[in-house]
Formats: sequence, structure tokens, C-alpha cells
Amino acid sequence: MALWPRSSVAKKFLNGLTGVGLTLFIIVHLAGNLLLLTGNPDDFNRYAHKLESLGPLLWLAEIGLALFFIVHIFSALSVYVDKLRARPVRYAVSGNAGGASRKTISSQTMIVTGLVLLLFVPWHVASLKFGPGVEEGYVAIVDGLLVRDLHSWVIEYFQNPVHVALYVLVMLLLGLHLRHGVWSMIQTLGAYHPRLTPLWYTGGVVFALVMAVGFLVIPIWIYVNGAKI
Amino acid sequence: MITASPKLVSKIPSGPIESRWTRHKDSLKLVSPTNKRKFTILVVGTGLAGASAAASLAELGYNVKAFCIQDSPRRAHSIAAQGGINAAKNYRNDGDSVWRLFYDTIKGGDFRAREANVYRLAELSVNIIDQCVAQGVPFAREYGGLLDNRSFGGAQVSRTFYARGQTGQQLLLGAYGAMMRQVEEGRVALYPRREMLDLVVINGQARGIICRNLVTGQLEAYAGDAVVLCTGGYGNAYFLATYAKNSNATAIWRCYKRGAFFANPCFTQIHPTCIPVTGDYQSKLTLMSESLRNDGRVWVPKKKGDTRPPNEIPEDERDYFLERRYPSYGNLAPRDIASRAVKAVCDEGRGVGASGRAVYLDFSDTIREKGLDYIKEKYGNLFEMYQHITGEDPYKVPMRIYPAVHYTMGGLWVDYNLMSTIPGLFVLGEANFSDHGANRLGASALMQGLADGYFIIPYTIGDYFASVSLPKVSTDRDEFRDAQASVEAKLKKLLAIQGKKTVLEFHRELGLLLWDYVGMARNAQGLQHAIEKIRALRQEFWQNVQVPGSNDMLNKSLEMAGRVADFLELAELMAIDALHREESCGAHFREEYQTPDGEALRNDEKFAYVAAWEYKGDDQPPELHQEPLIFEFVKPTVRSYK
Amino acid sequence: MNKKKMTLHLKIWRQANAQAPGRFVLYTVKDLSPDMSFLEMLDVLNEELTKKGELPVEFDSDCREGICGTCGFVINGVAHGPRRGRTVCQLYLRDFQDGQTVTLEPFRAKAFPVIKDLVVDRSAFDRIMAAGGYISVDTGSAPDANSILIPKEVAEAAFDAAACIGCGACVAACPNASASLFVSAKIAHLALLPQGQPERHRRVLKMVAQMDKENFGNCSNHGECEAVCPKNISIKYIALMRRDYLRALLAK
Repeated sequence: MALWPRSSVAKKFLNGLTGVGLTLFIIVHLAGNLLLLTGNPDDFNRYAHKLESLGPLLWLAEIGLALFFIVHIFSALSVYVDKLRARPVRYAVSGNAGGASRKTISSQTMIVTGLVLLLFVPWHVASLKFGPGVEEGYVAIVDGLLVRDLHSWVIEYFQNPVHVALYVLVMLLLGLHLRHGVWSMIQTLGAYHPRLTPLWYTGGVVFALVMAVGFLVIPIWIYVNGAKI
Repeated sequence: MITASPKLVSKIPSGPIESRWTRHKDSLKLVSPTNKRKFTILVVGTGLAGASAAASLAELGYNVKAFCIQDSPRRAHSIAAQGGINAAKNYRNDGDSVWRLFYDTIKGGDFRAREANVYRLAELSVNIIDQCVAQGVPFAREYGGLLDNRSFGGAQVSRTFYARGQTGQQLLLGAYGAMMRQVEEGRVALYPRREMLDLVVINGQARGIICRNLVTGQLEAYAGDAVVLCTGGYGNAYFLATYAKNSNATAIWRCYKRGAFFANPCFTQIHPTCIPVTGDYQSKLTLMSESLRNDGRVWVPKKKGDTRPPNEIPEDERDYFLERRYPSYGNLAPRDIASRAVKAVCDEGRGVGASGRAVYLDFSDTIREKGLDYIKEKYGNLFEMYQHITGEDPYKVPMRIYPAVHYTMGGLWVDYNLMSTIPGLFVLGEANFSDHGANRLGASALMQGLADGYFIIPYTIGDYFASVSLPKVSTDRDEFRDAQASVEAKLKKLLAIQGKKTVLEFHRELGLLLWDYVGMARNAQGLQHAIEKIRALRQEFWQNVQVPGSNDMLNKSLEMAGRVADFLELAELMAIDALHREESCGAHFREEYQTPDGEALRNDEKFAYVAAWEYKGDDQPPELHQEPLIFEFVKPTVRSYK
Repeated sequence: MNKKKMTLHLKIWRQANAQAPGRFVLYTVKDLSPDMSFLEMLDVLNEELTKKGELPVEFDSDCREGICGTCGFVINGVAHGPRRGRTVCQLYLRDFQDGQTVTLEPFRAKAFPVIKDLVVDRSAFDRIMAAGGYISVDTGSAPDANSILIPKEVAEAAFDAAACIGCGACVAACPNASASLFVSAKIAHLALLPQGQPERHRRVLKMVAQMDKENFGNCSNHGECEAVCPKNISIKYIALMRRDYLRALLAK
């Protein structure tokens, strides 16, 4: 814990830095997931298998990713705790000054959306990554190899409307998190430019929308077309 | 006819004016570095003079305690100075020099200031700019990276340095920063939200102060080896003024009552370009920087009672009266002259706006010639400020302006070392009377405050310490107890009256009286009337004022009550001084003494002196002491800006 | 000039001292001129309260022209009220509607304890400044002012940051009660000038450390501070402060 910074700026910097890492991760994650929609189950299974076969390299990446999550969460919690401490008496009326303000529902609910994602991730990993595999009979042959048929499990999983509804909801919250998160992490890392900052502020909204829609379209599409896949 | 009072020892050095300060400095006694830490200096007020003094004295090694009424020393009213600060740098190559700044200031003050003081001020102006730039004050620059200048009233050279319309704030942040550095070093102890309510004099020396802690109401006593008063001017006596609401005369007035002489109290400056009064509820007036007169033209309609909107009045029906009356200085005539000219056209019935007490300050010619961007860059924030207050867009319609009380040249009498008639009580900045004579030129107040604090007091206070014996005193002494008891009694008395009129009502009434009779134009009859009225008002105040709350809490009404009580006494002295000075000079315009074309008529034979008043008791008239003003280098002439 | 008279209903936070609990009290002020400033309206209310034998509402104000940074409270949830780029003292009743109910609360932050009613203690800012908000130069040791060349653009940029009046509205408006805008403006003013370079690293480290010590919150980039800032100080200086901080940390 000696490495854990005490200064507000450094803590926030860690939050921004891990934010960048996590954002890059979800871009890759979405790109991979979209393989579910190609119409050919082999595409997704091949991708999943390739990842699995990386072995120790994948573990390393996964440990890294987990670390990013943990640091992101802890730094965010410390910002939140500081906030609670810094204003013991709340305002009776809260307003928004408009104009240059970037205070939005998104910016004010980062801790909530973040915590929802925190609850979601273990469930998501447990039910899909650590869901039924070869031993349970989810087997496919791709390029002549016997691999886990994750594709079938995902399709099956999203036949449950409760799963679909929860995923859609969480992905909307992810979008909300990214809407403030993306531009904010750039600002946190100290990058500001009179022309570029407005660009990535708006870009952040578009990105958040693309990510949310990209992720939530998958369970919906699967649910709607489920039987046919 | 003028008799030098033996009680006023000005310590003005002799010899060539150019070397007086240098030689004086060389003759001053020094305190060794190890001995400096044995002295404690109480600095009251943290504006430009106070903050710069506190910082510089602490840097030398003295122990400094700094007091201010504001919640932070950075908020002192020096912060509101907009236009700039003069310095005889001659960066423009337009013929400026220390001599010329000296001459302009002496003439601008209508030959009622000391030559040696003013020369020293002009000399030090150069060092001030250097010091401030080194501190990081973001003065306006040219593309090449050199400092920019602009012109101000009463000068024909461009010697005013500025930081947009916030010169005062930027200079104060510099001085405040220097002081805060000493706070961090442990050499300055800061006491904000403290109001000095009395001076403690022991064996004839200023040895301490009594303060009220404005948060708890508690009275606190502080002992030291010298008191440096930097508490600003007393223009709020007029109620409506460009001063901050909390600016007051209490500190200097209590020192006056403890034996410090009050010099030239009637010299109060009325600034020509302020936003006019709009209603009875108005709490203060806002200045529009004099720098605007660089590019704005002042005019009124030629016809009386012309109510057409300004843009419908054709060029040949406008009277650009400053340009007409003062062709060589035009719109940049000095403040006293410009203010009186504005008053004159309004008295003729040619004033504009709903009240008829305003004139136009018109930028349309400059906008046409140099473009909107030029104006925006130079005065953007001032234009914005005007629009906030009036709801009118000065880019489209001319500003309406009228004179308002802005500065007091008068103040506690000090010698060349800035020490008052009480040994150990030093007075700096606007609180003293020293450098501006009967009228201050624009961009000179910041200069004086900083010259006093950075470059004069650090030398002269050491001479005092080295020259006198200062036995240690503690706040347990009777003098401290007595002073504290008298302060407490006064506060209790104010709270006990429980009358029917509020402090604000009394203050407003006093302000109107002063404005009408001790304002831009004065006459004997009016002044006598004012003196009677002020006395009556003061009597009524002590019988009928209503001060809510108690003494043991934050109580701004009580703070104001004490200040207004002092203004009610000071106002009388202002009127007495104005009545006794039977001449017109600078801002002091006696209607009986004017030239046929309405200019001030000075009487050097009878009145070329500093009038220093000595307090003789509440029931006694003050005693006048004269310090003759001797002009060896500049011959007093009729001050002409035509 | 506007002749119409206005009425305002004011819900004002009253608190006797730092320890006492506070509560809202409703006042109605009538016959107001739209040309009156907001603080003059409070003066009118206080005159009425004084005459009724009640305690006036305490609020800080001094220059009443938007430069000293003394005034400031929260009006309907927005620090310094409804107009952008202004302090409370620069608000006029024409900025409000006749019959409107207006809620006045003190700046709320642990670092700014309430002293009384709408008056708060902002001395934390002074302590941050003492930690390093200056250039260390003793009186009398400065070189000629023109020996330091500063391009106009650089001087203007430094001025933009130096325009901060230290009113504390940024803290009041920040959902986290962070002082980042104030501190970064002070850091940026000196960091942008050549004179500020020698102490640049030391300054940012010390000022941030003091800021953290004063119980302010952290910055989450809500940008509400910039929106309420009477001098329109940009959050770009917060980015600059972070860059400088990291650079200083790495250089250490």
C-alpha cells in the first residue's frame, strides 16, 4: 500500500489512467462480441478459442485487467469518500449553472453506474466465461479442432428474457458511465486543448452511445432471432 | 502670515532635490540583522501599503503582526483600482522622466504637497514596476514582449502601466503573495476579521492596538514596538462613494483622538467618471476607469433640457465641453477640473439621463476609427461592468457618467519618514496626507501605497527603532486595560441606545449633507450650515440609533455603528477645514474664490501650508497647526490645462 | 429606468454561529425597484428586520463591484446566482421575476465553515496561498522590468488565470466541494510566466498538498466551477495543474 498515493491529483490520475485501459478493453471486447452476429458460429468460437489458447499470456492480461478494475474502483471510491467528507451539510436546493458546466446526470452518477458495473462484472464473468463448457457438452469443431462452443451457450443464455433485460439495463448504465468518463479521463490526465477538448467532450457522448448500443444490441438480437441462429 | 508650528517637525532633507532621498537614507540609523527580530511591528490594514510593508519588514527580519477587517488580506480595497500605476520609465521615449512625473504630480496637486515627498515618489515609481514584474504581476505587454503603457489624466506622456482593468487586484495579489510567503516563513502572523478600535500610547509612544475580533466580538489587545497604519481613506463619510462598503476612518480617527494630527481633511477627491446614482436605495457608486477618457469623448447637448436620445442629437448640437474648455488636455483634464466642469454643465440644466445629473462619455468616434475590437480589447471588462449595472450596452449608446467621491488626499499628518505626531505610529498609503496635495492624479494612488510600503518604511522604521528606547511592554499594563475599557464602554453604549433610526439612515443623511455642502463646490455659508447640521445629527445619533444584536457575535450593524459614529465626528473636521481654507485649490473649490471663467483661485500667500489639526477634547474645537510648503524647485503657477 | 415595483419571497438560511443548527426562514420584501442590486434588496430587508427588533441577515460584501471576492452565497442552488460571469453583488433585481421565491444558502463545504447566516470562513484559501502561491523575490532585488520579455499572448494567458478573485464559488458549486479551480488558477498564473519557472515544481506540490490538508474534495471534472466563476476561469487550468503535478512528482 506504500505505492498508493495520498494526493488528490495522483489518486485521480490513477483513476483516469485505469479508465483509459478499461475503455480500450471494452472496445476490444465489443469488437469480439460482434462476431456473434456474423451468422457463422465458427467466427465467435474461433476467436474465443484463440484467446483461451494464449494460456499464461491471457492470464497475465486478465490479472492486469483485474488490477485495472481494482485500482479504478478504489481510486473512484476514495474520490467519493472525499466528496462525502468535504460537504457534510448538503444544499437544500441543487442547481446547474449551465453554460460551461459539464455537470450532467452522467457526471453525478459515476459512483452509482460504476458500482452497478462492479456488481455486474463478476456475474457476467461467472455466467459466461465460467459458464458451461466442453465438459457440459458445449463442443464445436472449428478449423478441424475441438473447441468450446461458447457461441451456443451465449445464444442459449440470452433466450432468457430476464438476462436480456438485465444486460440491456446494465449496458445503458455503461453508456451513462462512459458519457462523462471518456472526456473526464482525458482531462484528468492533464490533456486540455481549446479546440480538441470540445471535440472529445462531444466525441465522448458519441462513443458512449456506440458502446452502449453495440453491447445491448447483441442480447436483443439474439433474443429476437434466437431460434434461427 | 503662515507660521510654522513647532509641533510639526517634517524632517525634510535639504539640498538638491534629486539626491535628497538618497542622502536621507544614508543618514538613517540601522538596526543590525540580529536585533531586528527583537522588534514587533503591528501593521494595520493589508491593502497595497499594508501588504507591501508587512512583506518587506518581515523580509528584513522584523516580527510582523498584520491585521485586516476583511476575511482575507487579499480583499482590501486597493483591489478595485482599475486603470493603472504610473512610473517614470520613459519606455515610450516620449520625454518622460522622474522630474516630469514629479512636476506633473506637484502641479496636479495644485501646489499643496511637499516637493521632497513627491520627488521621492516619482523616483521610487521606477523600482515599483520592477518589483511587481518580478513578483509575476501580469502587466499588459506588446507583441515584442515589452511592457505596454497608456495615458492618464493630467499627463502629456504615456507612463501608466496596467493589467487590463484590474491593475489594483494584480498589484495587490503580488504584495499579498509576498506577505503570505512571510506568513509561511513564520515572520508574519495574520489576523483577519479584526477591526482596530483604539491605539495604545505608552510614555508618548505608540505601543499597541485594541482590536475587535469580528467573528466572536471579543476585544483583543496587541503590544508591539511600532504601529504601521495602512487603513485607507475616509471617503465613505459621504456614504455614496466608490469605496468598498467596509472602508472606514475608525483607525485613523481613533489615532487622531490619541494625539495624531489630521492633515488637510477637506481635500477629498471627486472622480469624474462614475456610474450615476439611480435610486434612494443605492448603496455605493461604481467607478469607470479614467483610462476610458483616452478614447471616450465627454459631451452634453448644447440646448438645455434636450431629451432626445444621444444618437439623434446632431454633431453641431453637442458640446464637447472638456475639449472646448481645456484644448491642450481635452478629455484627459485632471479629475478635479473635469468633475467641476461636469457639475457646471449639469447645473446649467444640460445634464442628461432621467435625473439630469449625468453627461455622456461617447466612444462612437473611436469605434468608427479604430474598430470595435480595439475597444473590446482595451476596455472589454469595463464595458461589461457598465452593462451589468445599467442594463445598457455602451458599445451602442454612450455611457452616462457623473462624478463621485473616490479618494481622500487628506489623512493623518506624517513627517518625511512617514511617522505621525505620535512617535512610533507610522501612517502609509491613502491613510496619510503626504503626496497628492489638493488633488491626486490618476494612477498615482497605487504608486504611493507601494512606494510607502516597499521602499520607504523599511528604511525609516529602523531609524526610529535605533533612535529611541523601547522597553518591553505587555498588554497587562493599565494603558491597555484603559483603552480596552473605553472601547468596550463605547460599544455597550451604542447597543444600549435602542432608538428608532438605523445606522444606515444616519449614514445616508450624513452623506447627503457632506455631498451638498462639503462636496465639489463649497462656500462659507454652506459650510457653517453643514457644521451645525452635522453636530445635530451626531447628537441625534447618540440618542436615537438602533443597533440590533449584541457584542459577543458577528454583528455588522454594530461594526457599522462604530464607523458611522466616527464619520459623524470626522465630517465636522472636514467642514471646519474647508471653512478655514479661504481659497480654492485642487479638489477644494470654494465658490467665493474663483477666476472669472470659473477656475480655482489659489492663495499661496495665505494658504501654502499643510493644515494639521490637533484634537483637544470632545467639547473643544481642534487646534490648527501649519506646516508651510516651501517650493524651491517648482514655482507655483496658475494651474492651467487649457 | 424601470418604474415597475417588484416583490420577492426569500428563503434564507439562518444560523446563529458555527456550532448552532441552522434553518430556513421565509421573508417577503415588497416595493422593490428592478434597478436595485440584489444586495441592496438584502439591505432593505435588513433595515426592516432591524426596525422590527429582529436580527438582520448577515452576509459578506465589500466592493460591490465584483472584484474583491468578498460576497458570495448560493441562490436557488447556483453559486453567485443566475447570471454567468458575475458575483452576487453584480446581480440586479431585473435578473429575477416579480413574485419569485428565491432560496439563499451559504457556500457549503467542510473547508468553509459557516460563521453566521450566509457568512463563511474561507481562510483555507489563504493557507493554500501561503504554501506557495507566489514568486519568492525579496523587495529591492528585482531587475529592470523590461529585462524580462514576455510575449503579449503569454501575458494575456497568465492574466486570464490571474483574474481569479478567490471568492470560493468554485468550491461551493463543485458537487465534490473541490478547490481545484482556485488552486489551479493560482498555479497557472505563475506557471505560465517566465518569472514563475524556478519554483514551478515546488509550488504545485506544496499547494496541492495544502489543498488536500484543508478537507476539500477531489475534482471529478463536473465543470460546474467554471460555469459559476465570476471571472470565467477555465478548467483548462485544472488540466495544467495535473500535468505540472505529475511532472513535478516524476522530477522528484
